[in-house]
Amino acid sequence: MPDTTDQPATEQSGSTGTRISRRELLRKAGAGAVALGVAGSTAPFSFAGPLRYKGRWLKGDLSIIQWVHFVPAYDDWFDNTWVKQWGQANDVQVNVEHINNTLLDTRAAAEVAAQSGHDLFFNLHPMASYEDQVINHASIINEVQRKVGKYGALAKLSTYNTKTKKYFAISDNYVPDPVVWRHDLWNAVGESPATWDHVAKAAPKLKASGHPIGIGQSQELDSNMALIAFLMCFGSFIQDEHNRPTLQSKNTVEAVKFMASLYKSGEDAGIFGWNPASNNNYIYSGTGSMILNAISATRTPEAQHLPFSDNLWIWPIPAGPKGRLGLEHVMGCYSIWKFAKNKENAEKFLADLCIHGKDATVASQLYNFPSFPDAFPFKSIRKLAAEDKNKPNGKYTILTTIAEKYTHNIGYPGTTNAAIDEIFSKYLIPQMFAQVSQGKLSAQDSVRDTMSVVKGIYSKWRKRGKI
Amino acid sequence: MAARGRHRYLAERRGFLATLLISPAVLFIGLLVGAPLGLAIYLSFTDATAGSLSGKWLGLGNYRAALHDQIFRDALWHTVLFTVISQAVVIVCAGLLAHALVRRFRGRWLLRFLVLLPWAAPIALTAIGFLWFYDPQASIFTWFLVHLHLVDRSNAPNWLGTPHAAMSSIITVQAWRVLPFATVIFLAGISSIPQEVDDAAAIDGATGLKKFWYVSLPLQLPIAIVAILFGIVFTATDMVVPYILTNGGPFNSTQVLTTYAFQTGINAGNIGEGAAVALFMLPLLVVVTIGMLFFARRAEVT
Amino acid sequence: MTGRWRHHAFAYAVAVPFAIVLAFPFFWMAVTSFKPEAQVYDPTKVWTFHPTLANYGFLFHHTGYLRWLRNSTFVGIMVVLITLAVAIPAGYALARLSGRVGRSLGVAIFLTYLVPPTLLFLPLSRVVSKLGLSDRLWALILVYPSFTIPFAIWLLMGFFKAIPQELEDAALVDGCSRLGALVRIVLPVSLPGIITVVIFTFSLVINEFVYAITFISSSTNRTVTVGVPTDLIRGDLFNWPGIMAAILIPSIPLALVYNAFLNRFITGFTGGAFR
Repeated sequence: MPDTTDQPATEQSGSTGTRISRRELLRKAGAGAVALGVAGSTAPFSFAGPLRYKGRWLKGDLSIIQWVHFVPAYDDWFDNTWVKQWGQANDVQVNVEHINNTLLDTRAAAEVAAQSGHDLFFNLHPMASYEDQVINHASIINEVQRKVGKYGALAKLSTYNTKTKKYFAISDNYVPDPVVWRHDLWNAVGESPATWDHVAKAAPKLKASGHPIGIGQSQELDSNMALIAFLMCFGSFIQDEHNRPTLQSKNTVEAVKFMASLYKSGEDAGIFGWNPASNNNYIYSGTGSMILNAISATRTPEAQHLPFSDNLWIWPIPAGPKGRLGLEHVMGCYSIWKFAKNKENAEKFLADLCIHGKDATVASQLYNFPSFPDAFPFKSIRKLAAEDKNKPNGKYTILTTIAEKYTHNIGYPGTTNAAIDEIFSKYLIPQMFAQVSQGKLSAQDSVRDTMSVVKGIYSKWRKRGKI
Repeated sequence: MAARGRHRYLAERRGFLATLLISPAVLFIGLLVGAPLGLAIYLSFTDATAGSLSGKWLGLGNYRAALHDQIFRDALWHTVLFTVISQAVVIVCAGLLAHALVRRFRGRWLLRFLVLLPWAAPIALTAIGFLWFYDPQASIFTWFLVHLHLVDRSNAPNWLGTPHAAMSSIITVQAWRVLPFATVIFLAGISSIPQEVDDAAAIDGATGLKKFWYVSLPLQLPIAIVAILFGIVFTATDMVVPYILTNGGPFNSTQVLTTYAFQTGINAGNIGEGAAVALFMLPLLVVVTIGMLFFARRAEVT
Repeated sequence: MTGRWRHHAFAYAVAVPFAIVLAFPFFWMAVTSFKPEAQVYDPTKVWTFHPTLANYGFLFHHTGYLRWLRNSTFVGIMVVLITLAVAIPAGYALARLSGRVGRSLGVAIFLTYLVPPTLLFLPLSRVVSKLGLSDRLWALILVYPSFTIPFAIWLLMGFFKAIPQELEDAALVDGCSRLGALVRIVLPVSLPGIITVVIFTFSLVINEFVYAITFISSSTNRTVTVGVPTDLIRGDLFNWPGIMAAILIPSIPLALVYNAFLNRFITGFTGGAFR
């Protein structure tokens, strides 16, 4: 395959675009930030995306990597509208890459090892353990706060290290985590998931009717989220507000026992082998009667015109004996590497993205909620949600209530730190539950074992000075 | 006099030429495997985190921590189980299948094509495919079992959700994927038995099973051992199947060393610990490899 | 007559069930790939549904699938060439010129497979970035031979050893240089061995996943193993029919090619490749 010949750079206005010599391009762009996406294998040119800036030579560069958003419309807006406009307004050539969210951790490690990569790195959880590899994002936060008001408490607890006083990431959005349930099936057994006691009462009846509930206890994201939130409803917390591990407690044992009996009476054995899509598919197949998931679980049935999509209701997480506390389903966070080549562009991009949180929320069909709440006040989101045409009418308005009152960060009441991150990545909480539900360990033993592992993790990160 | 001189010249030239011819390979492997391996070994003695390639020296700290870690000990056992059982299945089946496919019969070409498919398909993708075949809702295997009235919908096997079933599932997929490869190597081994040996055995009256045991098996042993060795090494160092199918399985019951190393080193950001876990098997595998290769050499029947 | 019948009966009795077990997943993949996506979970539509080509259409027109196939093929071919270029001389040297040293080097080469790539990719990404190859297919082309060359050398050693020394000696006596003997005498005779190496190398490349995901990020440069999980799995939504189609498309031609060369490969082994 012929390689590009070295031709001198020429600027042409009009529709033919610019031709630059490859050597010059590489000199400008550096190994990580490929400005015009010259692919290694095909020649003479190929572009990483649509040719966005025909006839215009842009001075700056910026490279971003983020997940393939569940809502295609968001990616469409991001890539083709937002980035395009921002790039033109700021004279920066922006290159956005999307990869599957499960691969983001691998890429992060690789970019750090290589000491080169994308300027802006997105992940669905705050990368607390990467604190030393990223800049302090305080300046961006201050900038945004000047324009749209305070950084949300949820976001701050997720991206701020109280020990080192450093913002190791910026969250531009989070996703509230409701419970998604089949109103028709629950009606048929005369119940509703208002509290976990109600759920426990309904579960055997639902299972008997062939439609069990589904709270996963597997080594995957949804199970992690659901079970940690479940613990909180029972007054059990992994750590306290000083980031000291408090997992072992009577409340934890009680919660684990409750979930074990809930499983035995009302759930299907499949919940131990789930992947992040499984609980969604449980609903889509018509079998499942309740899951804990973001609104992707309702949007897909709407899109595919499944017969029961009008019967899918959204409620806050059921209340437990110690209250109604939920988690965010995912926390969208951007970090800028210390070795990023275009830090200023990255900072400005992030600031602008957060300031325009409203556009992002609208584009994502209410999936993303802004981490700077005043960028799109709850009242306004509620108004928008009320306009949603799907039945029952106004069902998405509850999202604002959930976001406002019942959404906390992982590690609440403490911060989301490296130890929490590790506990999360090793699926210690689903393991703690599953061992008991499957009868392998007693609740006390399981909690005690998990606590000793947790204590080890905390002391390790404390020694590294991160907690 | 002159002859000896010429021999010496040839010998020198031989050595020089040999070095020249081997050096590109040595360079490649040295730079791209040796150096990173050295770095990984170094990392396993440090507390490196989050992708960084250096850290504080910990001595054997990571290894000691691993030995105290219940999940690690389980992962070690699971790795052995996973490797030994899947490869045992592969050897027996490949041996059988190779003997069947070596004969000429109608339709052999088609059957060979079907047998080769699992090997031709990229494993990372077929593993995702197996997620679908084992799907809790729509598993086609469950469908068959239910329609053959072997199980009820309600007590259908939970392919990826209970420890034993999940382990069996990943062992099955691994065996499924290695089987064509092993069969091909066995086929080559069988074909390499010279005709004279066959004829001699026939003359001596050794047929069927006796022939297999006393004639074919010993002759195939060197190649068989090699196939087994490759199977073992590829299985013990590969993380694709357990990672995609179960990600360590119902509460770590299918966690193997490679997936645990990945989870620890990459997902949780503990590079040093992850490296220690990944390298744990290395000494054992080295011993097994050298041992088997020696045995293969000894077992050669010339 | 009955002997031959028993002969064949055994073959069928073993080969047919195995073929069914090994190939059934692909059959089910094919069925799923023609199902409309919304019906994939419908228990009433397991076998009875209106087949559609929409999933294939999606694959070809709305994802970079063709490009990924091209990338994978390109990487595969280049890696095969590099592997042959490095492994043939090395295998020849080890087979002919090094005696006992050669044998232990052969074992040492094998030991390189004992290192899992799950963590090797970290130091390697530093190497790749220092060479300016980040996010380029050349990074893969550079790194993949590190695990294809050992196997290739080892295979070729066996094949070369099986070639009688007399053939080369005759050429040497005729005034040919050693290298000339390699090229003109040994290579043509060991063609089956070379084909074997090509097949094994290509299959190793196609199967690789970890390096492909870490060195390449832009969608234009993705290989098939990376592109499929990225574009066909959207958050928590798996496009099963699309994924099935994506697996089938390269697998069938590859299996056909392997099958076509299988006889050659087998005859090549004949002669004691592993002596």
